[in-house]
Amino acid sequence: MRVISTMKFTFFRMVREYITLLLLLVVPIVLLTVFSFVLEGVTTETGEPLINEQNVIFVLVFQMFGGALAMAYIHTDFFTERKQRIYALPFNQTLYAFSIMVCGIVYSVLLGIVLMTFSEFVFGADWGNWLWAIYIIFLLALLSNIVCLIFTFSVNNFKIAERLSEVYGVGFVILAGLIFPVPGNDFFVFVNTYVNPITLAADAIYGMNQSHAGEAWFRSNILLIASGVLFIVMLILGKRKIR
Amino acid sequence: MMIASMQGVVKRYGSNIVLDYVDLAIDEGEIIGLLGPNGAGKTTLIQTLTGMIPFEKGQVTLFGDVKAPFSNKNKEKIGLVTQEITIFEELTAKENLQFFAGVYGLKGEEKKNSVQEALEFVGLSDRANKMPKKFSGGMKRRLNIACALTHRPRFIIMDEPTVGIDPQSRNYILEAVKKLREEGTTILYTTHYMEEVQAIASRVVIMDQGQIIKEGTVDELIKTIQHEEKVKIDVTDAGQIPLNKLESVTGVKQVNVDGNQIMIISEANSGNLDRILSLIKAHAGVLGIQADKPNLEDVFLTLTGKQLRDKVGEE
Ligand SMILES: Nc1ncnc2c1ncn2[C@@H]1O[C@H](COP(=O)(O)OP(=O)(O)OP(=O)(O)O)[C@@H](O)[C@H]1O
Ligand SMILES: [Mg+2]
Repeated sequence: MRVISTMKFTFFRMVREYITLLLLLVVPIVLLTVFSFVLEGVTTETGEPLINEQNVIFVLVFQMFGGALAMAYIHTDFFTERKQRIYALPFNQTLYAFSIMVCGIVYSVLLGIVLMTFSEFVFGADWGNWLWAIYIIFLLALLSNIVCLIFTFSVNNFKIAERLSEVYGVGFVILAGLIFPVPGNDFFVFVNTYVNPITLAADAIYGMNQSHAGEAWFRSNILLIASGVLFIVMLILGKRKIR
Repeated sequence: MMIASMQGVVKRYGSNIVLDYVDLAIDEGEIIGLLGPNGAGKTTLIQTLTGMIPFEKGQVTLFGDVKAPFSNKNKEKIGLVTQEITIFEELTAKENLQFFAGVYGLKGEEKKNSVQEALEFVGLSDRANKMPKKFSGGMKRRLNIACALTHRPRFIIMDEPTVGIDPQSRNYILEAVKKLREEGTTILYTTHYMEEVQAIASRVVIMDQGQIIKEGTVDELIKTIQHEEKVKIDVTDAGQIPLNKLESVTGVKQVNVDGNQIMIISEANSGNLDRILSLIKAHAGVLGIQADKPNLEDVFLTLTGKQLRDKVGEE
């Protein structure tokens, strides 16, 4: 299939976006390092070093922004002057758009794995079962890509779509209480137990580590089902814009 | 053999009629120069002809396909050079070409050779592994063209391929088009530059306000205005000259002012030069007179009453 031959180049394009690399790889590494020193010796109620949890959360937070690249490329390839060239090509345009999304997810997960490796081996963060952790990171990347593309397809002004995608990431970071403490009332507890992708993902990873497998699967399935539903929404919206 | 055609095509954007019952037939081996001022509808014509945008009325065919979007088999036979530069800035020149060659189904040795040839064709072999970010405007344009050539299309559509570039790159591109012509490629070429069309086109199509207002070979078009005379008069102060009086001189068909040069088109053998000169001399000094053979530019001017492009401030 001809679309497959383009994926290598889409991937090259993504890897060469140095700003993204800086934001999604270098910044997290710097933050991980800083926090590891700040939180040295601090422990949670259960006696675990706090840094373990913080490391996991950090890596997950950055996955919330993993859709930015696919979003930017779908926009430039399908909604700017370049679309003329793309539509003149003898391949399935929808499939090409899909391949960009796949590249975006793979790239985001790869960056996540690099961060995981770094935090585990340099700071001794405990990711538990790596396969499980990678699966959870994948779910977050998938969800972020889908959400970003929904914005791209439904908002005509791309700048606004980009801002919305940032609101999605930053919003849930705030709701998770990672920037300042949030009140412990029912609303926040509910959101962070059943809705917020960051806390869902984090709980899925901790849950598996602490042998609450049922709980962990439950959380991850919420992410999976949300992705499935939103994927259909994305397809419906995308069908109107890409043919 | 017919490559592509349009019959009675109407395309609107809102209330703006961009293609107004356009008929066009392109035969194998033709080099069509599509001329028209900004906003005439050239790019829109190309987009409809390649099945990229829907239209209200009429019919478009491409290699026998009637309904857009056209089959991939027929899309493979065309190479589209877009008016805007649409190369990938994050890929090297060579990778750009590999991307497109891959999409057209080229593989292995064949792909390697065609990429190499396309680079040579536009004179970018020595920059194969450089990023287009560092290219000059002309080099980007050349890469933009090469991207449409790796698969050796039978029909190449070039939308203003020479706009905004240095004369050297421009010559390179024109020579390349001539080479393609010799290989028997069919080409649809839009431009604002008459010299280019005069140099390469086997047929000229003139478009204005969404309509094709004239077509024919360069010679045929010039003949249509050969019943006219054109004289250019350089004066000291064109502002002082009453143009309406000039226009009412017997035989005068059109008066155009370009800075301090007045151009007058009259019917052939009208013998009104004396009268024109004395009228001008009564209001300003005459610095020079020049009578030209008509060229394509004059055909355009006569047909549309417009210059093909603004003389001042271009590029
Ligand atoms: N997507 C669009 N939406 C609305 N109007 C459009 C669109 N594309 C083109 N037009 C209008 O259609 C008309 C013809 O545009 P087109 O780009 O085909 O002209 P052109 O002959 O290629 O001009 P140029 O020499 O500047 O490239 C213009 O008035 C333009 O504003
Ligand atoms: Mg145009």
